[in-house]
Amino acid sequence: MTEKDYNESVLLYADNVYRFIVKNLRHTEDAEDIVQSAFEKLWIHKDSVETAKAKSYLFTVAYHLLIDHTRKAKRISLQESFENDTQTAYQENKALKKVLHDALATLNETQRSLVLLKDYEGYSYEEIGEITKLTTDQVRVYLHRARLKLRNYLISPQQVL
Amino acid sequence: MQNIDLHNYQDFLLRYIDEELDLRQTEALLAFVALHPAIAEELESLQSTKLAIEVITCPNKAVLYKNIFPVTLEPTTIVYPNKQKLFKKEKEKAPVVFLRWWAVGAAAIFIFIVARYGMFNGEAGVGLSKNNISKSSVVKATISTANNASHKNTTTNIVIENNESLASTNIVANQQNIATNTLESGGFGDVAYHAIQNASTVTTTETTHGTASYTGDVIDVKPTIIAEITVPSITGSLTDHDETTETIETIDTETASSNRSVMVGAFEIDKDKFRGLFRKANALFKNKENNKNEK
Repeated sequence: MTEKDYNESVLLYADNVYRFIVKNLRHTEDAEDIVQSAFEKLWIHKDSVETAKAKSYLFTVAYHLLIDHTRKAKRISLQESFENDTQTAYQENKALKKVLHDALATLNETQRSLVLLKDYEGYSYEEIGEITKLTTDQVRVYLHRARLKLRNYLISPQQVL
Repeated sequence: MQNIDLHNYQDFLLRYIDEELDLRQTEALLAFVALHPAIAEELESLQSTKLAIEVITCPNKAVLYKNIFPVTLEPTTIVYPNKQKLFKKEKEKAPVVFLRWWAVGAAAIFIFIVARYGMFNGEAGVGLSKNNISKSSVVKATISTANNASHKNTTTNIVIENNESLASTNIVANQQNIATNTLESGGFGDVAYHAIQNASTVTTTETTHGTASYTGDVIDVKPTIIAEITVPSITGSLTDHDETTETIETIDTETASSNRSVMVGAFEIDKDKFRGLFRKANALFKNKENNKNEK
């Protein structure tokens, strides 16, 4: 891809990648860092990346950066702050949309990523499998489990927590 | 196509939510849901898990763009002030050994000093040449004759004057002249014979070979060799001729010839060649300067 194609990719996909990351991490600064890293990697490998696959490449890179970041965050007990956030959200009895996003936070990284890639980006099972390095069946199964978990949270959040 | 029933309907519902069913499967599922109101409620609850698309803008998108600046700069006329200094002229091809007149002069002076004071030998006042000509080594040719003043049986008195300072060549010349004069003065064979013999003794030995009575030894002529020529007796008419002993201190001819060379360090330089070299070099430079002046 050319420099022009790269800049066009920024224009077209930067928001999508950022949304995907920030919905996963719920941390804007970290999300920005990951997005920047993903696009930097695309710039470095622009000669070997086809323009048509730029979006998929960006999400793949961003997803793996996200996984790395989440694993690193786990080591510094970031999970506790997530739990506090969800509890606070539950106590305030926010709107359904907000609750849904809180429910999203209860999913593990893989499930959450699969949901985000499916609902926000509209990727197929195969495409999600390519991004997350999972098989199509794994994507389908994990995604269905995530849906049921979200539904259960929406029906009765207390049971889930 | 797989039939939808109460055991597998949930998988179809989830695939429907994920939009993974084709058109026929979708129609079949919707028909199945229409037949089962409980499943319709479940479908609705699952649809609520689907995230609504949000528009979230990446805050610092500008930093992600690369080289958005204008690529071509507008030409601006800026004159470099010291442009004249940047001009270069290709150097002319220099000769193999390019020496200036002052360099040649300095080299000549240096060589003269070295040759004069013997810098390399470290001996002050002693020349570098091993064959130096010293004033004291003036050629000495001494012909001492026991009875060289006169010959008894000669009609004319022949006196061979031997000057101590004469060179050997001069001696030869004198003796030849004597011989010639003797022959011309009346053909006195004895005297002439003697004279020729003496002359030939000094000059060449081959001619003296003809004289039977001559037994003189010619000592190999080397630098500073003293040759003693002894003429015991000359048979023939010169019977009373006394034995003469001539002591000749020969000229150091090699020294004389080698005086032209100068030793500079380990190199022997011929003065004449060296002088010629300087002349050629000077001529070369003069021609060059003349050419430049003409241009």
